[in-house]
Amino acid sequence: MKKFLVILLATLFVLSFARPLKVALLLNGTLGDKSFFDSAGRGIQMAIKELGIEAKIIEAGYQQERWRPYLEDLSDQDYDIIIVGTWQMQEILEEIAPMYPEKKYFIFDTSVDYSKPGLDNVYSILYKQNEGSFLVGALAALITTSGMPKTNPEPIIGFLGGMDIPVINDFLVGYIEGAKYVNPNIKVLISYVGSFNDPAKGKELSLAMYRQGADIIFNVAGNTGVGLLEAAKEADRWAIGVDSDQALIYEDIDIEIAKRIVTSMMKNVDISIFRGLKLHLEGKLKYGQAEALGIAEGGVGVADNKYYRELVPEQIRAKIKEIEEKILKGEIKVSTAYGMSTDELNKLRSSVRP
Amino acid sequence: MSNFFQNFIDPAFWYSVLRVSTPLLFAVMAALVSSISGSINIGIEGMMLMAAFWGNVVGAFVKNPWIGLVAGVASAMAMSLLLAFSHLKLRVNLVIAGVALNLFGSGFTVFMLFALTGEKGTSASLGSQPIPRLDIPLLRDIPFLGKVLNNHNALTYLALISIFLVDYLIRKTPLGMRMRAVGENPDAATSVGVSVLRVKYLSLLLSGVFAGFAGAFLSMGYVSWFARDMTSGRGFIALAAQALGGNSAILGALGALLFGIAEATGFTLQSLRIPSEITNMIPFILTLVVLIIYARTRVRSHSRIQKI
Repeated sequence: MKKFLVILLATLFVLSFARPLKVALLLNGTLGDKSFFDSAGRGIQMAIKELGIEAKIIEAGYQQERWRPYLEDLSDQDYDIIIVGTWQMQEILEEIAPMYPEKKYFIFDTSVDYSKPGLDNVYSILYKQNEGSFLVGALAALITTSGMPKTNPEPIIGFLGGMDIPVINDFLVGYIEGAKYVNPNIKVLISYVGSFNDPAKGKELSLAMYRQGADIIFNVAGNTGVGLLEAAKEADRWAIGVDSDQALIYEDIDIEIAKRIVTSMMKNVDISIFRGLKLHLEGKLKYGQAEALGIAEGGVGVADNKYYRELVPEQIRAKIKEIEEKILKGEIKVSTAYGMSTDELNKLRSSVRP
Repeated sequence: MSNFFQNFIDPAFWYSVLRVSTPLLFAVMAALVSSISGSINIGIEGMMLMAAFWGNVVGAFVKNPWIGLVAGVASAMAMSLLLAFSHLKLRVNLVIAGVALNLFGSGFTVFMLFALTGEKGTSASLGSQPIPRLDIPLLRDIPFLGKVLNNHNALTYLALISIFLVDYLIRKTPLGMRMRAVGENPDAATSVGVSVLRVKYLSLLLSGVFAGFAGAFLSMGYVSWFARDMTSGRGFIALAAQALGGNSAILGALGALLFGIAEATGFTLQSLRIPSEITNMIPFILTLVVLIIYARTRVRSHSRIQKI
C-alpha cells in the first residue's frame, strides 16, 4: 500500500510537470461588454490556441460582494496563474495574493501597491496612455486641417478631461505633443468637467469647444464623456473615443454617434495578457512589479475599425502608421505627466492656447 | 480675451444659457411653491434624479417620450408625497426627511438601473426616446432672437411658461393666497378656516411636479440617457436661486438664469485656459456674492423701518 502511494505520488509529480499551464481569467463583470472584459477574453483565446495553455474564463458578474469569494475559490483550486483586472479588484487582490504565495497573479489596467508585503507573486499591467494619445493627437491635428467633411480650416482641436489629475493629464501631454508634432501651430482647447459623472456638463463643455472652432475632441472623461459623444452628434463634428473601441460600442445603440467617432485610443488588454503568458512560459516574466506597456509592446494603439478606414483618408492613416513606427523605433520620445511639475504642464498647455 | 467678449454677442452662447438654465428654472419653481407655504423642499435633488431615471427608462420601454415624461413626473410626485406624509403626518424633521430622500434617490436609481440593464453607469443600452425640439416658424425668422429662442427642447418652453404660471398662481389665485398665508402665519390661516395641512400637502405635491420636469429634462432633453447621480447638485443650486428671489417667481427665475449665465461663461472661459477649478467655482462664488448683497439690502431696509 505504501509503495503504491509512493508510485502514485511520483506519477502525479511527473504529470504535474508535463501538464499544460492552467490559467483562470476572473472577470469582475461579464463578457459582452465590448470593452475590457471582451478584450481580456480574446487574449485568453489567443493564448489557448497559440501557447497551448489550458484556461477557463469565470464571469463573476457585477455584484462586488461576490468577487472576493470567487478569487479565494480559484486560488484554492489548481490554477497556476489567475488573471484579474481593473482598479476595483486591486484591494481584493492585495489581500488574497499573500495568502497563496505559490500561485501567480496578473492584474491589468492598475497596479497593486508593492509597498505592501507578500505581493512578489503579482504582475501588474499598466498602459502608456501618453503614447496612444500622441497618435490620436497627431490624427486630430491632421484631420482638423485636412478639409474632411465637418471640419473648418482653423487648426483647432479639443480635449475633454474628467478632472485635472495626473492620469488624465498623462493623456493630455501625449495628445498635445502629438498634435504639435504634425502641426507646430496647432491650438488645443482644454476643458475639465470636474466630475466623471456629469454627462450634461460634459455635453455643454463639448458644445462650447465645438462652437469655438474645434472640429474634433478627444474624450477622456469616463461617464461624463457620454455627453461629448452626444455633443458630436448634435453639432455634427468628430470625436475620438478612449480605452475601448467606442464606435463599436455605440454601433448598436446609436449609429449616428458611432458614425462620428473617427477612432478610439485603445488599451489592448488582449495583447498584454497574451504577452504576459508567453513571457511566463519562457520564464522571463518578472513578478513582483508593475510594467507599463506602450506601442512597442502593443499595449496601446489606434482602433483600426471600419469607421476609421471609411472616414479617415488614406494618406492620413499612412502618416499615423509612420509616426507609430517612429515611436516604436524610439525616434520619438513621448513625455509623461507623471513626475512633471505643474509649471512644466502649464507651459505645455499655454503653448497651444488659442 | 477679445474671444471672451465676442462670446457674449454670439447667439449660440445665449442659446446654451437657456438650455443650461432649463432644469434650474423648473427646480426653482419646485423650491418656490414649497417654500411659499413654509416647507423648504431639500429633497428636490432626489426627486429630480428619480424623474430622470423613470422618465428615461419608461420612455425607452414603451418607445414614447411623452409617456416617459408622465412616468418621470409621477415618480417625483410619489417622492414628494412620501416627503409630505413623513413631515406632515409623522412629524419628521423636514430637512432630515429631504436629505433621506436625496440619498434614497441616488441609491435606488442605481439599484434599479442595475436590475434592468445590468449596468451601473448609464442606461445607454436601453436606447433613448428624447423629447422633441420645437421649430417655431415665426420665431425662427427673427434675427438674433430667433437663434437664441428657437429650436429648443419642448420642456425649455414649458419651463419659461411655468415661470408666469407660478407667478400668477401665487399672486392672483385663491390657492396661491392661501399658500402664502399658511407660509406667513399658519395660526392666522387656521383662524379663518384654511386647512393648513391640505395646503401644505398640495404645495409639496406641486413642488414634486416641477422637480419631475427638471429631472426629466436632464435625461430626455439635455442628454438622452440616464447616468448615475446626473443631477450633480442642480437641486441645491435651485434652492439658492429661489432664496435670492424670495417669494417672487420672476426674481427666482432671474436667479436661475444668472446661474445659467455663470455656468455657460465658465464653459467658455475654460477652453481659454482659465483653470478649471476657478471656472467650476463661478456659479457658487456668485451664490455667495449675491446672498451677501441680498442680506445687506435686507438689513438696511429693516433698519430704515425701525428709524421711522
